[in-house]
Amino acid sequence: MRKQKKFIYYGKKLLIFLASVFVLSVVVFYLARWAPGDPLVSYYGDRTEKMSPQEREWALEKLGLNDPISVQYVRWVENAFHGEFGISFKYKQDVLKVIGGRIGNTLLLGGVGFVLTFGLALLVGIFCAWHEERWPDKTLCKVGTLTSCIPEFWLSLVLILVFAVSLRILPSSGAYTTGKEKDVADRIRHLILPLTIVVINHLWYYAYMIRNKLLEEVRADYVLLAKSKGLNKRQIMFRHCLRNIIPSYLSIMAISVPHVLGGTYIVETVFSYPGIGTLAYESARYKDYNLLMILCMLSGILVIFCNIISQTINEQIDPRIRANEVVETSEVTLI
Amino acid sequence: MGTLLEVKNLSVSFETSGGEVQAVRDVSFSLNEGEVLAIVGESGCGKSALCKAIMKLLPQNAGIRQGNIRINDVDITGYRERDMRKVRGKLFSMVFQDPMTSLNPTIPIGKQIAEAILVHEPWMPKEQVRKRVVELMKLVGIEHPEERYLMYPYHFSGGMRQRCVMAIALASNPKILFADEPTTALDVTIQAQILDLLREVQRKLNTATILVSHDLGVVARAADRVAVMYAGKIVEIGTAEEIYHDPRHPYTWGLLRSLPSLSKGRNYLQTIPGMPSTLVDPPKGDAFACRNEYALGIDYEEMPPMFRVSETHYAATWLLDKRAPKVEAPVFAGVNEPKRKDVTFTGADDWKKKVSANAGRNEKVSCEMAETVKSCSMMSEASAEVPEKSADLPEKYKKGIDGKNRNQGCNPEILVDVRHLTHQFRLSKKAVIRAVDDVSFQIRRGEIFGLVGESGSGKSTVARCVMNIYQPSVGRIFYQGIDVCEKKQVRENRKLLQISRQMIFQDSASSLNQRMKVREIITEPLAIHRITPPRKTLREEAKFQMKYVGLDDSYLDRYPPELSGGQRQRVAIARALSMEPELLVADEPIASLDVSIQAQIINLFRHLQEEHGFTFLFIAHDLAMVEYLCDRVGVMYRGKLVEVAPTKELFSNPQHGYTKALLSAIPYPDPVREKTRRLEVYEETANRSGQAMKEISEDHFVLCTAD
Repeated sequence: MRKQKKFIYYGKKLLIFLASVFVLSVVVFYLARWAPGDPLVSYYGDRTEKMSPQEREWALEKLGLNDPISVQYVRWVENAFHGEFGISFKYKQDVLKVIGGRIGNTLLLGGVGFVLTFGLALLVGIFCAWHEERWPDKTLCKVGTLTSCIPEFWLSLVLILVFAVSLRILPSSGAYTTGKEKDVADRIRHLILPLTIVVINHLWYYAYMIRNKLLEEVRADYVLLAKSKGLNKRQIMFRHCLRNIIPSYLSIMAISVPHVLGGTYIVETVFSYPGIGTLAYESARYKDYNLLMILCMLSGILVIFCNIISQTINEQIDPRIRANEVVETSEVTLI
Repeated sequence: MGTLLEVKNLSVSFETSGGEVQAVRDVSFSLNEGEVLAIVGESGCGKSALCKAIMKLLPQNAGIRQGNIRINDVDITGYRERDMRKVRGKLFSMVFQDPMTSLNPTIPIGKQIAEAILVHEPWMPKEQVRKRVVELMKLVGIEHPEERYLMYPYHFSGGMRQRCVMAIALASNPKILFADEPTTALDVTIQAQILDLLREVQRKLNTATILVSHDLGVVARAADRVAVMYAGKIVEIGTAEEIYHDPRHPYTWGLLRSLPSLSKGRNYLQTIPGMPSTLVDPPKGDAFACRNEYALGIDYEEMPPMFRVSETHYAATWLLDKRAPKVEAPVFAGVNEPKRKDVTFTGADDWKKKVSANAGRNEKVSCEMAETVKSCSMMSEASAEVPEKSADLPEKYKKGIDGKNRNQGCNPEILVDVRHLTHQFRLSKKAVIRAVDDVSFQIRRGEIFGLVGESGSGKSTVARCVMNIYQPSVGRIFYQGIDVCEKKQVRENRKLLQISRQMIFQDSASSLNQRMKVREIITEPLAIHRITPPRKTLREEAKFQMKYVGLDDSYLDRYPPELSGGQRQRVAIARALSMEPELLVADEPIASLDVSIQAQIINLFRHLQEEHGFTFLFIAHDLAMVEYLCDRVGVMYRGKLVEVAPTKELFSNPQHGYTKALLSAIPYPDPVREKTRRLEVYEETANRSGQAMKEISEDHFVLCTAD
C-alpha cells in the first residue's frame, strides 16, 4: 500500500519531467529555425557568400535543412532516441564529442562556484543575522547590495586589468596553460578569477535571503521560550533557527543550480574559458542547430530536474507536510 | 514564607516611532515563596512587559529605565545577558500565551524538554535525561509519555502543547514561574484544566507563580494574591479574597462589573467606558480618571499614592484619602457583599466643590488630552447612553429578565431552518473530516440563537453554510423558506439573500480591508447592490450607521489599523447593519477583545436586537456571555449538535455530558467558590452511530442513543 503510493508519487514526477522535456525540445527546435540567420555560415564559413543558388540548395539538402520543420523535428527525435544528435556544423564533429571535451571545464567552474557561493552565503547570512542591525551587519548589507549591482562582465574586465595585466600574478584567460594540461596548480590559478566573479555575483542574493529568514525565525515565539529555558544565543541560532530554515535553503539551492551554472556562461565568454558557455554562445550566433539543440536540452533538463528536486525536498523535509501521509493512512490524529 | 522576588519602582519603556511608550511605570511588589500572584488588567496595561522585564526578555527597543529587581536578595537589575542565562530556567522560567507558536515545530517534544534540562546540567547521562523528561511529562499530565517522546508539536492539541511548554518551564525546578496569559488561547474546558494543573504543580513543587491574565474570572481559581494593573501601574494589590470581596479601586470595580457572570438578571452588562489610555504620553494625574465615574478633581492633577487598606491590601485611588467623599462600592451580585460604609460626606468643603465641579471639568480636561483620550470619553458617552435607556424603562427591564422565552408561542415563525447539515472537508484524496455532522436546528425570527462549543467543533462551519460561503455536502438550509443549498433558488433570490443576511467575523483586524476608509467599508454593500441609501448620500448613511454603533463621525475618514479592536468591531457591525439585515451571523465577534470592551459590544448587540428585532446567530466559546445574551443555545461537540435548549433551561438543567463539562468550566470571579468548584470532564464513550436528538422537555433537545 505504502510502496504503491510512493511508486505513484515518483511516477507522476517522472511523467511531468518527460512532458516538460518534450515541450521544451519542440519550442527550442522551432524557435531556432524561425530565427533569422543563415545556418550555412556555421558550416561553410566565408565560403557561403560565394555560393551559387544551386550550391546553396545542394548544401541545404545535404544538411537536411530543406524539409519542413516538423519533418526535421521528427527526424531529430528519431535519431535522438538512437543516441545520435547529429554533427556540429562548425566543428564538423559529433556534437556529443564537442560537448564532452568542454563540459568538464564548465562543471568544474560551476560546481566549485556553486559550493563556494552557498557555503559562503550561509556563513555571511548567519554572521549578518547574528550582528543584526549593528555595524558589521549594516556594512555587509551595503557592500553586498553594491557588489550585486556591478555587472559581471565589467567586474571581470577590471579584475583582469588588475590581476593579470598590472600585477601579472594571475592568467587572464583559458583553463590551463598550453602544455600544462595535467598541472593542478596551474588549473587552480586559471580558475581563481572566473570563480571570484561567479561567487561575487551570486553570493549576496543568497546571503541576504539567509539573513532575513533567520531574522524571521529569531522573532518567532519559540525563541522566547528557548531563551527563558536559559539557552544562549549560539544554541538558539544553530539548534533552533538554523534548523528551521535549512529545508527552504536546500530547496532554494536546488532551484538555483542552473542559475549559478548559467551564470558561468558570461564569465566563460569574458575569460575565453573553454566551457560549454562559450560553445552555447557560438552555436546560437552561428545557427549551429544540432549543437544549440543539445545544449538547450541539457540546460533545460537541468532546470526541470532541479525544480523537481527542490519540490521534493520541500515536501519531504517538513514534518508537517509529511504528516498528511500519516493522516491518509490511519485517519487518526492524536489529541 | 520568605520574600523571593522583590520589585521596586520598576519602570520600563519602549522606543517606538511614535515616541517613548512607558509600558511599566514605577511598579513595586514582592512575591513570597510558593504563592501565586495574579496580575490582571486590560491589554496594553503593561502586564507582559513587566514579566519580560523581570526575565530580561524584552525586545531590543525596550529597556528598564529605573528601579531594581531583587531575587533571593540578589539584585539582578544590572545582570548582563551572560549572567541572565544562568538564572533563566533555573531561577525563573516562563509559559507563554500561544502554545501553537511557542514550541519549535521541527523538533520533537521530548527533545525540546530534554534541551531545557541539559542547559543547566550538560553532563547528565542520556538515560537519566530521558527518565527526567518522562517524569516531567507525567507531572504535567501528558499520558503515554514514552510514546509521545518523539512526537512533533503538530501532533498535539493546544492544551497538550501548553502542557509541554509547562514541562519545559518546570524542567530545572525554577523558583518562580511566569505564566503570561497561559489559557487565553485555549478552550474553556481546557482553560480550567490548565489552571488546575498550574495550581497543582505549584503546590507539589512549591513554585512561586506570577499569573498574568486579562480575565478576573479566570484568575480567581488559582491566585493567592491579585495585582490589578492599569496604564503601566499597579492600582490595587491584595489577597484574592480582598480583591474580589472588598475591591477599592474603581478600575477593579469596573473589571468585576463587566464580567457577565456578575450581571445575571440585568438587562445590560455594566462596562468600563472608553478604552485604556495610550502610554506614549501618559496623563499627569491618574490615567484612569477619564474612564472613572467616581473621578475627583484631584485625579486629573496628581497621581494617587498607594493607600493602605489592610496589611496586605493596597490601592492607588484618591477615594481612599481621608478627605475624599465616601463612595459606596458597587454591589456585585453573587459575590459576598462588601462591608458597608456610612455614606457621609466628611471631607473638607473645597473637596466637595471639586466633586461637584467634576462633571464640567471632565470635558475640559479631556479636551486638552491627546486625541485618543478624547475619543475615549466620547465613546464613554455613547455607551453610557445605552444603560440609561433601560433604566428609564423599568417594564422593559423586567421583560428582559423573563424575556428569555419571549419568542415562544407568541412568535413561532422560523427564519432559518437547518436540516441534517453535514459538511466535509477533504484533507487529501481519501481522508475526509466531517466538520459538521448531521446538524439540525431552527432559528426563530427575532431571537438570539447561540452556538457554543470548543474550537474545531464545527460552529464556524455551520455559520458559513448558513451564509452560503460553504456548500454543504448533505442537508438543506432554509432561509425564509428558500433553500439556500439549491443553486436555482439561490439565483432567483440572490438579492434578498445577500441583503438580508449579514455576517460579522471574529477578527476585525483581518476581516476589514486595511486600505479602505471606514466610510467606504460601511457603505460598500450599498454601493455593490446599487441601493440608494436611506439617508440620501453614502456619507450621511455612513455617519448615521457610525453613530448608531456608538462611534464618533471623526472616524469616517480613518483606516481600520488606526482604530482599536473594539472600535474596529463596531465598524464591522455598522457595515453589517447598513444593509438593514434580518439575520446577523456573528462568528465569535468578541473573542479577540478585552473583557471591558467585550461587555460594550455585547451591550450593543442587545440594544440592536431590542430596538430592531434582528435575528442573531451568535457563535462563541464564552459560555458566560452566551448565557447573558442568548435566548436559545445549541451546544456543539466534534461536529455534532449535542444539546439545544432555551438558555435558562440549558444552564439550570444540562443533560448531555459535554454540556455539563462546559458549564462546570465557566470561571466565576469569587476565589472561595472557585477553589472548591469541581471540574467535570467529558469523555466520549458512546457509539456515535445510533444517536438521535430527543426532546426531553419542551423545546429541550439532547443527543442520545436510541434507547
